[in-house]
Amino acid sequence: MPGHKRIAVMSPQTRLAHSRRRARGRWRVPKLDGPGADRALVLHRRQLRLAVAPLALLFAGILGLPLVFALFPGLDDIRLLGIPVSWLALAVLPYPALALLAGWQLRRAEKAEDTE
Amino acid sequence: MSAKIWALSGAFAVIIATFYIGWRSSRTASTAQDFLVARRTVRSRRNAAAVSGEYLSAASFLGVAGLVLKDGADALWYPIGFTAGYLALMLFVAAPLRRSGAYTLPDFCEARLGSRALRGLAAVFVVFIGILYVVPQLQLAGQALANILPVPTWVGATVVTVVVIVNVFGGGMRAITVVQAFQYWLKLFAIAAPTFVMCLLFIGNGGLRDGQATTLTEALPPTFTQNTEIDVRTPVLLRVEDPVWLAARGETDGEPAMGTVYWGPGTHEVAAGTTLHFSKGSSVPVVAGAPADNESWLAPASNGGDLFSTYSLILALFLGTMGLPHVLVRFYTNPDGRAARRTTLHVLLLLSLFYLFPIMLGALSRLYVPELLVTGQTDAAVLNLPHSIAPGILGDILGAVLTAGAFAAFLSTSSGLVVSVSGVLSTDVLRGRVRDFRFATAVAGGVPLALAIAVRQTDISLTVGMSFALAASTFCPILLLGVWWRKLTWVGAAAGMIVGGGLVLASLVINTISNLTGGWAPSVFSQPAIITVPAAFLTVILVSKATPAKIPADVAQIRLRMHAPDNLGLTRDRAVASFGTAEERSRLADGRHRKE
Repeated sequence: MPGHKRIAVMSPQTRLAHSRRRARGRWRVPKLDGPGADRALVLHRRQLRLAVAPLALLFAGILGLPLVFALFPGLDDIRLLGIPVSWLALAVLPYPALALLAGWQLRRAEKAEDTE
Repeated sequence: MSAKIWALSGAFAVIIATFYIGWRSSRTASTAQDFLVARRTVRSRRNAAAVSGEYLSAASFLGVAGLVLKDGADALWYPIGFTAGYLALMLFVAAPLRRSGAYTLPDFCEARLGSRALRGLAAVFVVFIGILYVVPQLQLAGQALANILPVPTWVGATVVTVVVIVNVFGGGMRAITVVQAFQYWLKLFAIAAPTFVMCLLFIGNGGLRDGQATTLTEALPPTFTQNTEIDVRTPVLLRVEDPVWLAARGETDGEPAMGTVYWGPGTHEVAAGTTLHFSKGSSVPVVAGAPADNESWLAPASNGGDLFSTYSLILALFLGTMGLPHVLVRFYTNPDGRAARRTTLHVLLLLSLFYLFPIMLGALSRLYVPELLVTGQTDAAVLNLPHSIAPGILGDILGAVLTAGAFAAFLSTSSGLVVSVSGVLSTDVLRGRVRDFRFATAVAGGVPLALAIAVRQTDISLTVGMSFALAASTFCPILLLGVWWRKLTWVGAAAGMIVGGGLVLASLVINTISNLTGGWAPSVFSQPAIITVPAAFLTVILVSKATPAKIPADVAQIRLRMHAPDNLGLTRDRAVASFGTAEERSRLADGRHRKE
């Protein structure tokens, strides 16, 4: 059947992934210069700056908690619904805090990429 | 007996489901792209479920509850560290690493620093970390199966290894993605549903059965809720707070014992093969080193030494997650850097949800299965709890669900690690044909199996903590500095890896020897990260500064690519090593034709 070409049927997502260029030979090929290079450099700096605040908060939280417990042993005796506050602070509190921190950082990092 | 049948069918159902889902999705896996990166088309939510499924190992499913049972508040740091590691991953590594286009950690090392030698070294450490992580999974699998059936522990380890190897042979990464995502939800259900039921029973029973047990807030040791007979299989040193009368058969405190024994406050030694009989209401002796009464169990570490090891543990878990080969490899299945970053957020949410339940189970088991404190085998807490809280058919069903979840944990983590270790072995050590991948898979499964049988079992979370320390001291500095510091050289990276990894391995050896000869080593040897991680970072920086001539010429280009947004189109996915010749591939494709 001349004129007929066999094509592979695939999902749009797969086609998208396949159509992206893939380096076959030496890997370090792409060149970037002019305005693109400046833009990427600015972004690199900005992303690094953005990461400082969440990191500081995280360290303050994680390194601070053991210190708080060491300084205020009375926390073990304060109960909320029969559970000591120190347990709530260790077993429940960190997870929403981590998730909030991550969500905040995600929004900031993506915004930096969109606007820059 | 019926309990055993229930538990066995739970474990069996998980193995069958794993096989079936793996087989269904591996029908379409035929190319090396499928095997290694699932065609890079996995969306962030499914990938997050897969990452979590892979990450929640037996250490999370069984080990966390066991540690809470034994160590109380201090053990709560483990799940926090396990979760917080993903924040570090998101802040610094996920998106740039995905955009670098490299596929494995050794790949990244070579791409960023352009050195074959460094690549080889990285491959060695990937294999080390992988094996160190799989061994305790297999040991616990053996223990779990020995709980159900009258078989020696090596049987369970072998069964899990065989299932994993067969599944990996079938479809590699493509099959594994779906299996792992399924296993996250399975594990969440398997731990959440029994926890809810058992909490309801606990509250319904008026808190504690018959008002016999000590509540968790009193300054007293836990008490037995029923007459309990304990077989001591390995020699233990027990700490007694309240004097206790018991019946013993065997050898205690170096003397043969037969009949009633009185233990005053202090430490008591029990030889292997001794049977101890405690009556209901008597206080529970606790393995030496763990908090002996409930009040100190409840309070977080407050003295200096404990604080030091707490910080060391946090550091290892926080920085080690980004160096785990089986986790990193999953990020390459995302389409781009942005999706990789989103994946980490979803993983954080999924893990946060999961870890609430093992903590609750740990607290419950302090009340209901205190006899585990005597033998020290606290990893069995989750599996033993249902029968002690709800005797009868309900306990059987809950036990079966938990056993199924535990087997999902053994299978998912081991298959993820076996895939990544054998990927590295086959491309970096062997010649990268399909045959090599399969040989590498057999090695990556077989070596941990042999070690799991040969080495004595310790608390799983401690062993896993060691592999986190190894990852944090080897790959974390390379990744962080490789992504963010221009002046990194391959000499510095190699030196840092050798120093950090060498120190961790040395302390692992020292700790093992000390465990066998009476436990003389200070606690820093069991969690050395607080010393080894700064040492590794310092070595990398100093040696890199000393060898500025080795900075790769194209460092600016590479760094720009890692940090440029995806829509600039700079990402070049590295062609993953193609396995096999064209004929070999078409034979594997089973007569079907696919465009590659």
